[in-house]
Formats: sequence, structure tokens, C-alpha cells
Amino acid sequence: MLGFTIEKRQEPLKWGSFFIFLGALVFSLGVSALLLAIQGKPPLEAMYLLWDGAFAHDWALEDTVLKAIPIFLCSLGVAVCFRMQIWNIGAEGQYALGAIGATWVVLSMPDAPVWVLMPLMFLAAATLGALWAIIPALLREKMGLNEIISTLMFNYIGILFLEFLVYGSWKDPASFGFPMTIMFPDTAIIGELFGRIHWGILVCAGAATALTVFLKHTRLGFEIMVSGENPRAARYARMPYSALVVLVMGICGALAGWAGLIETSATLNRLQPTIVVGYGFTAIVVAWLARLRITSIAGYSILLAGLRVGVENLQLELQVPASFTGIMQGLILLSVLAGQFFNWYSFQRSKRG
Amino acid sequence: MAEYVNKRTNRGAFAGQAPFVRLQAISKHFGKVRANHEITLDIRPGMIKALLGENGAGKSTLMSILSGRFQQTSGDILVDGALTAFHSPKDAIKAGIGMVYQHFMLVESMTVAQNVLLGQEKAFLISPKEQEREVAALAEQYGLPIDPSATVSSLSMGEKQRVEILKLLYRDSRVLILDEPTAVLTPTETEQLFDAMWRMADQGKSLVFISHKLKEVMAVADEIAILRKGEVVDEFKEADVPNEAVLANRMVGRDVELALDAQPVELGATVLDVQGLDGDGLEDIMLSVRKGEIVAIAGVAGNGQKELVEVVCGLRKPVRGDVSILGLEWHDFYPRPPRKGRSLAYIPEDRQGLATCKFVDLVDNFLLTTRHSFTTGPFLNRSKAVDTTIEIVEQFNVQPGHIDADARALSGGNLQKLVIGREFFRQPDIIVAENPTQGLDISATEEVWQRLLEVRKRSGILLITSELNEALQLADRIAVMYRGRIIDQFPKSDTKKVEAIGLMMAGVTPE
Amino acid sequence: MGLELIIPILAATIQSGTPILYATLGEMLTERSGVLNLGVEGMMIFGAFFAFLVSYYTGNPWLAFICAGLLAGLFGLAHAVVCLVFQGNQVVSGLALTILGVGLADFLGTAYVGVSAPGFSPFDFPVLSAIPVLGEIFFKQDALVYVSFLLPFLFWFFMNRTRWGLALGAAGENPAACFAAGLNPVKLRWAGIYFGGVLCGLGGAYLSLAYTHLWTNNMTAGRGWIAVALVIFAFWRPGRAMFGAYLFGGIMAFQMRLQAVGATLPSSLLLMLPYALTIIVLLFSSARGKGRQAPAALGVNIEPGE
Repeated sequence: MLGFTIEKRQEPLKWGSFFIFLGALVFSLGVSALLLAIQGKPPLEAMYLLWDGAFAHDWALEDTVLKAIPIFLCSLGVAVCFRMQIWNIGAEGQYALGAIGATWVVLSMPDAPVWVLMPLMFLAAATLGALWAIIPALLREKMGLNEIISTLMFNYIGILFLEFLVYGSWKDPASFGFPMTIMFPDTAIIGELFGRIHWGILVCAGAATALTVFLKHTRLGFEIMVSGENPRAARYARMPYSALVVLVMGICGALAGWAGLIETSATLNRLQPTIVVGYGFTAIVVAWLARLRITSIAGYSILLAGLRVGVENLQLELQVPASFTGIMQGLILLSVLAGQFFNWYSFQRSKRG
Repeated sequence: MAEYVNKRTNRGAFAGQAPFVRLQAISKHFGKVRANHEITLDIRPGMIKALLGENGAGKSTLMSILSGRFQQTSGDILVDGALTAFHSPKDAIKAGIGMVYQHFMLVESMTVAQNVLLGQEKAFLISPKEQEREVAALAEQYGLPIDPSATVSSLSMGEKQRVEILKLLYRDSRVLILDEPTAVLTPTETEQLFDAMWRMADQGKSLVFISHKLKEVMAVADEIAILRKGEVVDEFKEADVPNEAVLANRMVGRDVELALDAQPVELGATVLDVQGLDGDGLEDIMLSVRKGEIVAIAGVAGNGQKELVEVVCGLRKPVRGDVSILGLEWHDFYPRPPRKGRSLAYIPEDRQGLATCKFVDLVDNFLLTTRHSFTTGPFLNRSKAVDTTIEIVEQFNVQPGHIDADARALSGGNLQKLVIGREFFRQPDIIVAENPTQGLDISATEEVWQRLLEVRKRSGILLITSELNEALQLADRIAVMYRGRIIDQFPKSDTKKVEAIGLMMAGVTPE
Repeated sequence: MGLELIIPILAATIQSGTPILYATLGEMLTERSGVLNLGVEGMMIFGAFFAFLVSYYTGNPWLAFICAGLLAGLFGLAHAVVCLVFQGNQVVSGLALTILGVGLADFLGTAYVGVSAPGFSPFDFPVLSAIPVLGEIFFKQDALVYVSFLLPFLFWFFMNRTRWGLALGAAGENPAACFAAGLNPVKLRWAGIYFGGVLCGLGGAYLSLAYTHLWTNNMTAGRGWIAVALVIFAFWRPGRAMFGAYLFGGIMAFQMRLQAVGATLPSSLLLMLPYALTIIVLLFSSARGKGRQAPAALGVNIEPGE
């Protein structure tokens, strides 16, 4: 119609996804800058501040890496679910439940030694997080309930449950009415490793390694890959599809739960509602940008964490609201989705006049 | 099969008129595959033209071009002598050309009338009563009985086909293309269809009848064109249509090449035993397969073969009746994943969608059903699988044999060879093969047949086929299925019954 | 409880259910055309903000209402570009649209938080409001509620009695059949996404123009997601959508009522109610809804060249 036809490529474009991301980033930054300009903020300065606040200094990089840790963990889990075409968008709620689990352990045995407390915190966070994901998985497999809706509703319920606890029985009597628990004892705090980076980063490395080995080198990992690629073939080959769905959801819930634990313990040192800031949704953006590949997830986690930190800087310097992050994430994701088209298709000048 | 009597009354009225449509040197390529090559064809008013050819001969592609769904790579379409280009079905419909596809293009949730008038409504507001009246009148005119207010999803295949035809008639199509229309019909419905076709032709319509069934083509057609490997190899006018044998040889072109000498093998233990399987459209199926034999299930597609296979292969729970596989009850056999030895192998008809993953390499596709043979603890020994895949690819002559290429890079025949190699690897005691040569070229067909005959020495084979020739070439015993029932079972040596298979496939039990 | 207690709650039920009704019908229209758009929440809040903005600057709530719908529809077209032109994943694209919409509304609206704008107020509908009980529940509402009473019927009429509606439905059930009938399913889906977005935007506009008369952050509070769930609950039929929307309106009215009388339950537990109800309601419908399925081609992109 416009003198172009769409042709399908025989092979996907090599290196395509990286250039697509760059294009999407430039486009999104452009639109964001335009929005700032409309509001009377200096767009170029804002772009500089964004960069400066996220990556240009040691403290900035530290902030970025600290924020990347929970995003990375959530995103690992989300990616595994998405690989199986299970649309788990409940990482946010699973993260909240993980935080609740860890806090529950701390509040019930504040005087336990670190070697008892820490493992139990990790266990409780993983269990509650996984539970919050496994329930929707079971509802999906047994009752045919759409997992997009159920995981999303579980987000709201989980977060409200966290508020219920922190506003209620878990509230620190000495907090002057602020909704927060008591400060965790030192034994329950994930300590610093180098600079301000705590050893939660080792948890990330461990989880990523274990997950890579699991997906690439185990039979279950193979079955997950096939089930995502072609669910009919998985049934044909008699793979335990429902069990695999529960498994991937459980993995995601446990990882998101750990993200909640780490954020509570290492960053805030106590549980309070401000812990819920949308990492679970950023994780979805990251997982998709990384095209569900674990190695790329690390890089994109840092990039999007940097975006958050940079926007915090904008908030301070130019009074740009925090929701600016959402705008940029939404734009990047939309443009990358559109751009991935070029991996498989190209526009050709049509032969017909 | 019943003999059809041509009931045309008005053929002479249109003889000698100029063609509605002329296809001139049409070629169509899909990537490297040549589907049509330099085809020239006239479609004349009041005539039923049969396009005869085997699966994959290029009939459907050619007609998709004529109906505007595909565009030709080269060549011209002339409508009433004028050069015309079809960019979409809309253009073809405008030119008066319509097609009834094998897979019906109907909106299941809508009524018959809504489907017929879809995209053709005269006014913005719609009165269902008015629509239904119009469709009823049209159905009456051409003798296609149907309830215009019925929801399409509630109709039989034959009725759905009538809706498709009515859609074209409503659009005043002058050329109606019917793509393998009898494949989904019962014999009665087939006769009704033929009656309607003759009536339409008598009223001046052109019909194109695509088929690979000789008898039907002989009965219904005024003119016949034979396609082989994408080319028209022969064309006959009304009077000169030769007998069946000549047509068959022209169409197949392989009568000598593919006669196999299948010597019987000694029979072993019973590997599959179905007793009184009922439900899901199946009726009291009794069937058993022993090691060393090939039992062929013959019949028109859609008579319960799919359901039977799905039960036997564990994709569908038996409703009633007993199914035992290798001496185990269905419920005891089926929770287990496929393992080497004492196992069942399933070679499905849908090689691309069910048996393999398109975007996954050959090794992973090989591992699909052999994964338990390469597992130590929780781990998968991929390097061992790579070696085995290379062996299988060589042994079964899979071309091209790059094991790190995706499955979609393989042609149908090579993909099938990979699937067969994979399924044989587990040394199964029972093999279920569903139309294993559908869409394959002759050499691939022959390889597949040879493999099945060889493996018979250590397995029992249940062969489901809608090609009678395949059943006759391979089987030791033949069972004929019709409407969910097995009409009869007999050894291939029973020549009397073998001759009556055609009748049985139409539901007639000879005495 | 006596009638004098129940009637205000039921009247509030209608009011709380109205924005959900608009949005549910919007998403239903889009899904009937074969596209899953999870951006409802984003389009709703986008509509809510622009309704407020236009009303604030022009003082004309009707103009604001219409602009909100048109603009939210345009915003929703991002989904059309991604999914219809570029073959993007419908689930992820819808999520992105929500993330973007919520972000945009918050970003642009920060300066206006707590500011009020002219809107719609309840008035007695002539004659009908005099009906005892029913009149008080249904006909002492604002104009947008009265409009919404007609919507499910109009929706049904459009889908079943007009040429465009049938064509749109065909694009969602079987795009190939639609194409073979000489229609263009891609264009029909563009329309489905746009007008679905318009309705979602109108639902959002209700929140800032009638439900409240001001702008606050996160005004929609998950109503868009409830609408997505209700489409499934309603089996893609407008009549049941009305029932579902009022069911949720009821739970929200009930929850506010409890809060108002100072119930001892903590507010966070009360706030959970609609979300928990969503899951329960869907479980019921999935157990009973065998055979009443989604549009056959829902969520499946139409590949170019086919």
C-alpha cells in the first residue's frame, strides 16, 4: 500500500536485539525528555542528571547495584515462568510475602544466633514467596483460572497483608505510630561485603548459577524449555506439564521472596510498607528486554536499576515525580516489543508499482 | 463405494463458450520449494473441471492463487479475457471466483445466515429474520438444505460445507473451487454434494473439483486435468476422458516403483489389546496387535481414528472399556514417561506441531522422547545425546544433517525420518504410525515404508492411514473404521474382503 | 438493617460499579475483536486524568468526558501499533501500557493532586425516580450512570445487529474466515482496540468527574484489572458484565460503609475484599463456564503475509 511489503527473514537478525534495545532506549529517552520540556524542566540537563545520578560516581553505582539485586532476583524467576509461557506477574506480591516470612522469623526469635536465624529467614522467605506463587499455579492447573488475573490479585492481597501486619500487631511500639517493625538485631542483617554492597549479591550469583545449571543441564530444565516452546509436543512426549508449571512458579516465588528478604534485611533493616516499590514489575520489563536469558538479565537489571536511581536524582534536583520511572519503563518496553519485529521481519520495497 | 450416476441435464447449453478464467503459465515458489510450475488452465462456464493429483502435487496452491489467498510468483490470470491481478480474496470475490477450503473458513459462534452474509450485508443494521429468509431461498434454489438460524458450531461437516458453498453463491460467484470436498463427507453427504454440483453447473456456474479420488473424479467431472509435482501432466476434454487405470497411472507415475514385497514375519506376544473401547465418538472397539505384524486401520479421515490413536498413545483417557499396552492396563502404563525398552512409540501425523519443536535444534528434538535414556540423576547428558543424534541422522539419512540447525530447516520427509529414527531408538515394542507418508515424496515414502517393514521383526505396528494403497502395501491385517466403529477386520490374504474395502469405508458391510 | 440503610448502600453500589462497567465493556469490545489488552488500568487512569484536566480548564464536564474517552483511545493505540503492526506479545504489551499509563497520569497530575474540577452530580430522573425503592436506587444518580444503563444493550445491539459488529466479532473468532470473506481483520482489530480504549477512558473519567470531583494519585486502584477479570467472568457477554460490575460496586460500597461506621476491622483487610472477590468469582465462573469460551482467536496475532 505504501510501496513496502513485509518479508519474513529466513534467520533471525544477528545482534538484532541489542540494536533494538539501543533504538528503544534512544526513542524512550527522547519522548521522556519531551515530556520534561512540556513541563518546563530543562530536558538536556535532566538527561545529564539521570546519567550522573545512576552511573557517574562510586556512590551512584553502589546505589544502582543495590537496587539491581532485588530486581535481578525477581527477574530470574519471572523469566523462567515466561519461558514456559506462564504469565506470572505476581513477583511483586511474592516479594512482599518473602519479606513477611523473613520478618516473622526475626520477630519470633530475635535472640537466636545468626547461624540459626539467617537460614530460617531464607527458608521462610522462600517458602512464603513460593506459596504465593504456587496457589495461582494450582488454581490454573486444577480449576482453569487465568494466572495473569490471579497473580495480579495476589499482588494486591499480599501487599495489603503486609500493611495489615505492619500497621497492626507487628508495629514497633516505639515508632511514634509510624507503620514499621522494630529494628532487626544485627544477627538478622545481611552485612556489607565491599563498600555498601552487601553479600546479597552473592545470593544473586549463586541463584543465577544454580538456575543456569538447572535449566541447561538437567532433565527438568529441558522439559521446561520444551513445554514453553511447544506445549503440545511436551504433552506428546509425556512431560509432567502441570507439575512443571507449579515448579516454575515455585522457583519464581522463592526467588522473589528472597528479594523481599534481602531488601528488608539489608536495605531497611526492618519491615515497613515502603519496601514495596514495584521491583516485581520492573523485573518483568527486565526479563523481557533480556529476552528471558539469564546472562542478559544481569545487565538489564543494572540498567533499569540505574534508571530508578537516576530518577531519584531528578526528583531531588528538578522535582520530577518518581513515577517518571514508570513512564520510561513503559516506553522502553513498548518500543522494544515493537522493535523485536525486525528480528524476524524486514520491510522490502514492493516490486509492484 | 457406490456408483455415481451423472445427473446433469443441461451440459450442452454451455459447450463451446469462451472460458471465464484462463490461468497462463502460473508458477509459485515458497522459498526454494517449487509448488507450481508453468501451469496453464481454462475454466469454462457450465463445466465441472477436476484437478486430479496426489497430496503435494500443487493443487491447493494453484487454487489458492486463483482465489486470491496467495500471489503467483509468475504468470497471468485472465478473467473474461482481461489480465487481472488478485491482491486479496476480496479481488477474487469481486471477479466472481470463490473457494471452499479444506479447513472451513467459518465463524463457529455465528449462525449460518450470519456466516453467509458476512461482509456482504446490504445495510448497516441487520435483521436476522430477513437474512435467514434470504439464505433459505438461496439454499432452496441450489438444493442445499440447511437451517439458516442454526449456529455453525452445531452443524455436521457436510452442513458446514453447504454453508461455505452458499457463501459463494450469495456472492454471485461464477467459479466455485472445491478443495478435496469429499474428504470429510459421509457417502450420503457426498452424493448430495454431487447433486448440488450438477445443479450449479446446469445453471451455468463453473466448478473446479480438487481431488485425488479417481472414482469421484470420473463420476462428477466434465473435464480433467492431472497435476504431478506442480505441473499439469495431462488434460482431457468431456468426451475423451479415459478409464480409471489410465488416469491412475498418469497421476501416480510410480506404479512400478513402489510395489513392496512384504514377506510375513513370525508373530510374537500381544502388545496392544483394546477391548470394548467406547465413548468420545468411539463405539465398542475391539483390536489387538501382536509383535511381528502391521495392523492397518483404513478409513476416511474423521471416522474416529484420531480419538483411537489418542487413547492408545496416552493423550486421551479412555471413557469406557479396557486398553492394555504391553500387558499393563492403560492407567498403569500411562503415568510413566517414555523409557527405553518395553515402550510405545507414536509417530503422529502432525510432525511439525506435535512430534517436534520448530525452533529447537535436532539434538533437543531427538531428546524429546529419549530424554530418560540420557539422564543420570537429575542431569541430562547432552554430549552423549549429540553423538547419538549424529548416528541417527546418518543411519536414517536425514538431510541436511546439521544437528545444530532448527527442526524447521528440515523438509517434511527428512523431519519424518528424524522422528522415526528417534522413536525407533527406544526399541519400542509397539509403534503407532499415523499417516506416516502423508505429504512425502516418493523416495521418502519408500524409505519410511522400508523402515516400518524392517522394525516389524521386533515390534507390533498399528498403522493408521487414509491411503488405501499404503494399507495394502504394508499391512498384515486390515481393520476398516467408519463412524467410530470397526466395520471389519481381516488378513490381507482375504482377497474377497480386500476388494470390498471401498464399500466398507463407506459404511457398507458386505455379506 | 432496614430499607433506609440498605437503599443508600445499593445506590452507592450502582455508582461504584459504573466505572467498572464502562471499562469491562471496553475490554470486552477489544477482546471480541481478538486482542487481549491488559492496558485497561493504564487507559482508565489516563482517561481519569485528562477528564479532570479538561474539566478544570474548560469547566465543561461533558466536553471533559468526551475528550477523556477519545484521548484514552488514542493512548490505547500504542497497543495496536505494537501488536498489530509489529507482532509484539499482547500480554507484555498490555502490561507495558499499564505501566506507562499509570506513570504518565501520576507524572502529569502531580501538580494537581487534591485540586477539584466541575463534574457530574446526581439528579432525580424525571418520572422514574418516583418509583419507590427502585427509583431511589437507580434513578437518583448522575447523568453518566444513566448513560451506562444503556451501554450493555447498545453493546449487544452493535455486536449482533450491525454489519460492523458482526465483522468485528468475526475478526476475533476466525481472522482467516474474516479475510476470506473480503474483510480486513487487522483494520477491524484497530477499531476494536481504539473503541475499547475509549470506553476504558470513559470509565476512568467517571472516577474524576462523578465519583469524586477531583484528581488524586492512583485513582483507579486496580479497577482496570478487575475489569479484565470481569470480561472472563461475563463470558464475553455484556449482560453479565453489568451484573459483575454491580457485584463489585456492591463490595466496594459495603467496604466504604463499614469504614465509615468505624468497623473494628483494619482497613487493609477491608481493602483486600474486591481483590479476593475477583479470584472467588472467577473460580465460580471457570467451574460453571464449560463450553462458553473466549473468542477463538483471542490473543493470537495475525501474521503478515497470511
